[in-house]
Amino acid sequence: MWKKAILLSLREKRIFTVFVLIYTILIFLSSLFIELGIGGQLGESAVFFILIFFSTSLILSLLYAWILVSRRRRVWATFKCIGYTNKNIIILVSGIILFTTSMGFFIVIEVLFHYAAIVSYLNSAKINLDVPILVGLVPVIITSVIFILVQLLALIVVYRKVLKVRPIIALKRVGV
Amino acid sequence: MAFAKDIMIEAIDINKEYRRAGAIIRALVDINLRVKSGEFIIVQGPTGCGKSTLLNVLSGLDLPDSGRVIFDGENIARATEDRLSRIRRQKIGFVFQDYNLVNSLTAIENIEALLWPTVLSNKEIENRSIAALRDVNLLERKDHHPVQLSGGEKQRVGLARAIIHRPRVILADEPTGNLDPESETQVMELLKKINKDRETTVIVVTHRAHLNKYADKVIKMDKGRIIKIE
Repeated sequence: MWKKAILLSLREKRIFTVFVLIYTILIFLSSLFIELGIGGQLGESAVFFILIFFSTSLILSLLYAWILVSRRRRVWATFKCIGYTNKNIIILVSGIILFTTSMGFFIVIEVLFHYAAIVSYLNSAKINLDVPILVGLVPVIITSVIFILVQLLALIVVYRKVLKVRPIIALKRVGV
Repeated sequence: MAFAKDIMIEAIDINKEYRRAGAIIRALVDINLRVKSGEFIIVQGPTGCGKSTLLNVLSGLDLPDSGRVIFDGENIARATEDRLSRIRRQKIGFVFQDYNLVNSLTAIENIEALLWPTVLSNKEIENRSIAALRDVNLLERKDHHPVQLSGGEKQRVGLARAIIHRPRVILADEPTGNLDPESETQVMELLKKINKDRETTVIVVTHRAHLNKYADKVIKMDKGRIIKIE
């Protein structure tokens, strides 16, 4: 079922791309501010910014969960009609949300690796542009773990909303 | 009470009421019905006569206010939601008027979706889906998305999804309601073929009287009551 959740995410290209991009930006900014906070470069304002990014992530996750369940109510009702249990549907929706967040994490890691590789290459070629390695791996991992924990709150909302989807909705005429 | 082996569904003293805008609507009144295994039944009546409600109650999608529904020997009026889901997955195939296909999935994926929660391997699921598509003469369209299919083709995909798990009963709510006469004939003949070849019980809800020729039994309803069985 987890694989099918990935399939469903990838097929909804527009919404998937938008949310992956937003998560990527949020994970990058949160990691950057954690890095700056650890280095003491921003003082107490770093904590303030980090809290803003995590709150944004929570709101975003709730919005994504709402879009997935409420706007596709008829799809989930049809799935219930053809024999899906609530648990089956929750696995699909959870899979879609977690996969989208994970993609944001992998994109940040990928971009940072390439950035670090370019900087290291230029340094080794004695071309010193005096640019720092932006973010270390540890802040990115810390951010991603916290983001996934935040997703769990959204999944509680998903659970409650999925329970409310009645299979009989699938039999109602479109537009009636 | 002993349950006759050849009875697939039995409705006993079923009553169902709805409240709409403060008014009480008696959707089903003292319904008693026996559906034998392998029968092709058409439920007919004017809009709002309770025929769709009857289908919903017989499939466990809706619970009666009173009475019992014995489905394949089991009282589904008392079953848990999980048990009802399993009964629907194992024993019932649904055909919807609006097809209810997932637009982002291809025809074959829409059919396979029914078996995703099962323990069957991907290969077995694919083989069954291909066989189901072949049964509805739509194999060449397996990689098309619903938006690329005509109404009749969409309904045949819906039909393939309804038979992939080899159900005991197919329940169809106005399956030809959105189709042109040619597609209507194709869908009804496929339903009849499945009914004959596999001895699958088929219950079709429709308001179109000319479809009666496909049925072994026609149940006529009005104001929530069965008024005639032909």
